[in-house]
Amino acid sequence: MADATVAANQLPRERNFADARGILNRIMLWIAFLTLSLACIYPMIWLFLNGFKSTNELFQSSWGIPQVWRWENFTTAWNYGISRYLLNSVIVAVATVATELILASMAAYALVTMEFKGKFVIYMGILGGMILPPEVSLFPLFKVMAATDLYNTYFALILPNVAFGLPFTTFLIRAYMVGIPQDLREAALMEGASEGMIFRSIYLPLCRPVLAAAGLIAAMRTWNEFIFALTFVESESVKTVTIGIMSFAVALRADYGVMMAGLALSILPILATFLILQRQFIGGLTQGAVK
Amino acid sequence: MSGRRSSSLRQSLSGWLWVAPTLLFLFFFVYGPAFANIVYSLFSFSAMSQKMDFVGLANYFELSADPLFQTGLINNIIYALISVFFQVAVALTLAAVLESKVFPTFAANGFRTMLFLPSILPVVVVGLIWQILLAPAIGLLDQALWELGLGAWSRAWLGDPDTAIYTIIMVSQWQWTGYIMALFMVAIRAIPRDLYEAMELEGACGPRIFFHLTVPGARETILIVTIITILGSLKVFDIVWVMTAGGPNHSSEVLGTLMYRAAFRDDMIGYSSTIATVIFFIALTIGVVQIKLQKDQ
Repeated sequence: MADATVAANQLPRERNFADARGILNRIMLWIAFLTLSLACIYPMIWLFLNGFKSTNELFQSSWGIPQVWRWENFTTAWNYGISRYLLNSVIVAVATVATELILASMAAYALVTMEFKGKFVIYMGILGGMILPPEVSLFPLFKVMAATDLYNTYFALILPNVAFGLPFTTFLIRAYMVGIPQDLREAALMEGASEGMIFRSIYLPLCRPVLAAAGLIAAMRTWNEFIFALTFVESESVKTVTIGIMSFAVALRADYGVMMAGLALSILPILATFLILQRQFIGGLTQGAVK
Repeated sequence: MSGRRSSSLRQSLSGWLWVAPTLLFLFFFVYGPAFANIVYSLFSFSAMSQKMDFVGLANYFELSADPLFQTGLINNIIYALISVFFQVAVALTLAAVLESKVFPTFAANGFRTMLFLPSILPVVVVGLIWQILLAPAIGLLDQALWELGLGAWSRAWLGDPDTAIYTIIMVSQWQWTGYIMALFMVAIRAIPRDLYEAMELEGACGPRIFFHLTVPGARETILIVTIITILGSLKVFDIVWVMTAGGPNHSSEVLGTLMYRAAFRDDMIGYSSTIATVIFFIALTIGVVQIKLQKDQ
């Protein structure tokens, strides 16, 4: 009895204590996450703000709001080459993603629906490409590019980008196609449809979600690709953003304002797309990545 | 899907045709060059000359005695250790907090978006932005330290051989931790909700739930993330090349930068191929380990 009363007396006090600790915990977590979030986005805000400053102002106060908003920094940077680099990146990314999706879904279709000799070995051969880092093939590829006149053209970037992306893309699309019931295809075959027709009018439309996710992943990878662009192209007219921005930054070492405006412009398209489509972006980029 | 053994040649032909383009791409741009690379590592030659001297394993002996190779390898290992800590331990903890409903939904979503943001930026741009942020005098970090009265801590983070590689590694954590966190959030969401409710009813506190439910529940993702993080750290190139190019005085060199410099700056192709071959075998070993571990699951 005595024990029970003691327990009953203590309970509310303990609960109060637990509540207070809970609130304190909550406040700490809020502070921690607000700080982390700020640490993640502030560098970008800083970049955009400083893009408006003159070099002098930047040295005096890189923290503050610009005294004069120098929009001309952005137009200077845009005309200095950023526009060209962005265009090149778009060309390379679109060509890479389109080729990759077509070839990968063809391979996935065969691997899922057809029986052929060496299927397992072929599938393993495709997957094995995921393990190989591009560094390993870099110099031999460079030699091929130089020997075939592909060097310094869009193809020098598109072809290796497609090749190194195909294993993962095939893997993703195959994993999705496995879930499509085989009888759909068998029924269509009975009615005399060809494989090509089944592929185009049954499988591809059903695969739209995975094609979107795989396309997004491939586009991001190509857009950010560095080592091929560094090695296989050299003229300004073919350079993609990743490499172009480096030569841009070196050329404008003395004019920080314009340089930062250029950096800001180079990430603006991807930043805007991300902010508009954040749910699809995060969903698409996390969906396939771990499998 | 029943394995039909009697696939005739004609039947096989159509299957082969559908996979042929992918195989050709892989053969010409991935496997062929990788094989050529291994062959090159047995020769000594320069990019411009036609003459290749067969030297057997001499490049490998030279490499194993090269102090720069040891620096590079050690830096890669440090890179991997720190990255695994941040991208597995820290990212998983952050994900668990965001999924535990301590924050209202809009706040949790907002935090996720902001932490995810750095991962969509090109590595080059991240490297260049941080180069300016970390520069003495105009850099944000330096100014913050002076404002806080910690001016004595100020230093040229990337220009100091003692801190260069660690600075690069931390920039890389800044970029990727939020992305891995989002991956873990997906994994945690797959753990049945009622298990959490049951533990909460029993009065279990946050850390207990984390270790008894979240960690075992996300085990598979933890394993894969660990492996991709290690693999990524061993083949890292771009962020280092942009921020320091291996300097100052080779202190932040990694295998990737050594390989690139040997081929495209020093014109020692055989030697460069040897480094690339070492990277290849490390990647292969990790890949095999991954397949083994995933089969066991």
